[in-house]
Amino acid sequence: MFVFLGLIFRFGPLLFGLGFIAPLTAQVIERAGWSLPYAITPLMAGLGIGGVLGLAAQLRGRWI
Amino acid sequence: MNAPVSLKSLSEADLMKLEREIARQHIDKFPYFAVAWAFTNLAVWLSLWPLVFTGVLPLWAGFLIASFNVAACYLPSHEAQHDIIARPGTKLRWLNQLVGHLSTIPLVLPYRVARLTHLEHHAHANDPALDPDHSTHASGPLQAIWKSIQNRQPGAKGGEASYGETLVRIGRPEVMLDAAIYSLVFYGTLFGLAWSGHAIEAALLWWLPRHVGMTYIQYYLSWAPHHPATDKGRYRDTRSFRSIFGNICSMGMQYHIVHHLHPRIPLYRTPKAYWQMRDILEARGCRLEGL
Repeated sequence: MFVFLGLIFRFGPLLFGLGFIAPLTAQVIERAGWSLPYAITPLMAGLGIGGVLGLAAQLRGRWI
Repeated sequence: MNAPVSLKSLSEADLMKLEREIARQHIDKFPYFAVAWAFTNLAVWLSLWPLVFTGVLPLWAGFLIASFNVAACYLPSHEAQHDIIARPGTKLRWLNQLVGHLSTIPLVLPYRVARLTHLEHHAHANDPALDPDHSTHASGPLQAIWKSIQNRQPGAKGGEASYGETLVRIGRPEVMLDAAIYSLVFYGTLFGLAWSGHAIEAALLWWLPRHVGMTYIQYYLSWAPHHPATDKGRYRDTRSFRSIFGNICSMGMQYHIVHHLHPRIPLYRTPKAYWQMRDILEARGCRLEGL
């Protein structure tokens, strides 16, 4: 269990990017009524933004 | 204002005797307000969720109230950490522990982590190696806010990381499990809400208010009363100061020096105790800045 917990916390920023920032971005896009190009869905955009931000935070050790 | 000549001529032992006599007048007073505050604050924060989800309360108002709730949730726990509500072995001890555990839920700060690290802060205030709150040290107000944000970054050495180091140093590493469980529940709740279509509500009722509240708490409880955090020792590690937002908006921290000298004086009595012992503190060479 501790190994599993350790893994979760080690990849915290990436998980936060995909688990929270992604749906948050998608719902902000939907609520704002923005239309995206190239048939990109809000969730795809959210996963892209959340994934990139999460990965960057994971590698840099900081969000800002 | 200088301390009266009569006080300056007193010995250390006599000054201590006078100081303790004043402190004794304020210790063992039941902090009714802090107890009511703990439960009311938590109840208001919890009520925001159904009120916002059912559309009774607009989300922007929920965000403002939630930020206030998080900023206000630490102090009742702080009273409990110092056994001010009830000492161990007394009839109301359960209430002391209940307040300690419940009040900081919005902050996602486990009581045992808060208590053990806070007592270390008292024992080693301003010691760069041993004070778990020393990472909030900064050269000015804006720098303090920035430092607080930086201490919450994933790879930061201060903040929660220094709490973990402290728990290991004092031989209580198992308490870190409390923090892990709190974090899992917090992020699990955020993720669950987000993927069920309530990400914006989760962000504005808990995630962002927690950051706002934590910044406010660290600014007023950790940075301001100890700034510049260079002096050590009972009469030098904490200062009194005048906040432009007054004593209530600075969460009673203008008189934090009294708390460090006599941690069992309830928060609501520290202003009175301060003015009673001010001349003694002046004679001791304390940092009394603007009050």
